Amino acid sequence: MADRRRINGPTGGTSAPVFSKYVIKSPEDGSDRPSRTRPGNVPRKMFLKTGVTPSASGSAYLELEASKQSLTSTRGLASLSTSGLKLTCTVHGPRPLPKSAPFSPHIILSTHVKYAPFATRKRRGYIRDSTERDLGVHLETALRGVIIGDRWPKSGVDVIITILEGEEDQWWGDDRGRAAAGAEEWGMMSVLSGCVTVASAAIVDAGIDCVDVVSGGVAAIIREPKGSLMSTMLVLDPVPSEHQEILAACVVAYLPGRDEITDIWVRGEIGPLRSNEKSFSYEDLANNAVQAALGSHRVLVGALKETADMKMHR
Amino acid sequence: MAPSSTQQVLLSPAELSYLHTSLSLDPPVRPDARTSSQFRPLIAETDILPGTNGSARICFADGTEAIVGIKAEVEKSRPSYQASADRNVAEDDDDEEDEETRRDEQLAKEKKGLNEWVEMSVEIPSFRDDDSMPVFMAAMLSEALLADGAFTNKLWINRRFHWKLYLDILLLSQPLSYPLPLLSLTTHLALLSTRLPRLKSEEDEDPLFDDDWAASVFLYPRTQSLIRPPVTLLVMSVGNNIIFDPTKEELAVAESVLAVSVGERPQEKSQGDMDVDSGKPARDLRLLAIRTIDPPSRLTPAGVPNTLNTATGGTAAGTTEQASSKRETMEEEGVWQPPRGGAKRKLIAAMIQAVLARGGVAEEVLDGLDAVELG
Repeated sequence: MADRRRINGPTGGTSAPVFSKYVIKSPEDGSDRPSRTRPGNVPRKMFLKTGVTPSASGSAYLELEASKQSLTSTRGLASLSTSGLKLTCTVHGPRPLPKSAPFSPHIILSTHVKYAPFATRKRRGYIRDSTERDLGVHLETALRGVIIGDRWPKSGVDVIITILEGEEDQWWGDDRGRAAAGAEEWGMMSVLSGCVTVASAAIVDAGIDCVDVVSGGVAAIIREPKGSLMSTMLVLDPVPSEHQEILAACVVAYLPGRDEITDIWVRGEIGPLRSNEKSFSYEDLANNAVQAALGSHRVLVGALKETADMKMHR
Repeated sequence: MAPSSTQQVLLSPAELSYLHTSLSLDPPVRPDARTSSQFRPLIAETDILPGTNGSARICFADGTEAIVGIKAEVEKSRPSYQASADRNVAEDDDDEEDEETRRDEQLAKEKKGLNEWVEMSVEIPSFRDDDSMPVFMAAMLSEALLADGAFTNKLWINRRFHWKLYLDILLLSQPLSYPLPLLSLTTHLALLSTRLPRLKSEEDEDPLFDDDWAASVFLYPRTQSLIRPPVTLLVMSVGNNIIFDPTKEELAVAESVLAVSVGERPQEKSQGDMDVDSGKPARDLRLLAIRTIDPPSRLTPAGVPNTLNTATGGTAAGTTEQASSKRETMEEEGVWQPPRGGAKRKLIAAMIQAVLARGGVAEEVLDGLDAVELG
């Protein structure tokens, strides 16, 4: 049944016009392609604030800095705009389950991750699609290990994340009607890491007991031309539009106090077990993702302290 | 409220504690007396559905059974304005030899497939198709299949047409244990048995195919260096023990569960990297994907120690807060506590090492699948 209550956009999605003069010259000279200005081991700047939604028992807002505009793109074209990541999370509960629900010795955690229709270049519908459900499952796994569930029998908690501005999966110039194989959905990894951090902040804001604060981090193995050779590098917190080729990426939800990982998600081909000068092993990737998670953990703790101070002095 | 990702385990805290203790022994004692890396016996057959391009069926000894059918359709590719622009530039060039080599390069570049050419659907009885478990499984399986990008390139016909592959994965039985490895192995066999009709037309003509099915070509050609589809394995940990192919009961006490997808690179002959002892080349295994799976053990009820149980002479706590704080500080043997927190970093690395290492479990599984007769 079609959604008739709202004025919906076209079902197939729309995209901003891409003019051929940008397209033809794009791949080789790459002048318009944004490039990573941060060093490989520095994650993006993060803004995190808790207690933004008064009606929810806990809430948080997270924003990642948008990548810098490259020098030539001052033309003001819509398709040249870059976006950071903007997430808002609300936590409702713990609240009693309805009478009809069967007995549960634990808190029942349900997670909803939803892209706002305007969050990505291609418009998203109102009904959750498979990638959003997939993100929801990942988030649930990450949070379930942290929440001490048996302190709330017969109750439920909802964690709802709205992605206001999503990460791009690739540079817009590469999307020429045919995406490069495997280039799809790398942005999801950064989104998940942001979701974990923001949900963790909102859960603490709601006052739900946790074993530790969990934070998310991403690392990726990228291949980039360096001079005439292609070289592989390990970077923290990759922005997919800044890299020509991402070989593999890893998201972790990390508990620094216990040195434990509640959720790990690795995609992409990773070579032999031991790392050598040409390729990186799984452990390199995971350890770097943990480093990124430690970075966001510092921001998380800072934001929580700020809120706590504010509550104390009020 | 969404149901948990696996079915509710109907085991008492005492039974869970017993299972957990026996699985954390060194070596672990499993309920069905397997070793920690031993798989359950299975029955496999391929080419069972005449109406498909490739199909397979696997039946585990515990009664879970899955069927995969693969259908291919010819589809028009989306026009690519980039490609046509490039071609115009190439035609302007006068130098013929140069043009030819360039065209080859161009072709190699264009022979890139798109991930949307593969459509996977997972159907599990008693789950709606938008429930999280089938969605998660389909995402996991397709992510492994599309990881290296080489698979979709096989579906390229010419600039205007491509094959669209529909993988329909059906679990016929109830999901007794977590069905991911079963579905993955069945998909692996079905892809190996998939055949596409032989192409008769050339270049960018409308595709015309040989109608002789005997002349059809395999999607994964049977050459010496056989490239294979990936397999996804389920690994769980209890204490420091790493256990493969867990059953439902074992999953109920797992501390962490990982799904690891492994692919195989074709052997490079020139290197001569032969294993002298077995006379069989070592497999070049690649890690394609890892995902954590929420262990159902976190949803199990905790046991009540005797000191808190009035029936055994203890005194019950006054409030639920007191009860939980008393129970949490108590480390009594034989009283089940659902696991908290995640898995240690070292432990996850060890689990992956156990899958990928030479002579490890992934090699064993691939060797076992090699033995399945393909139709």
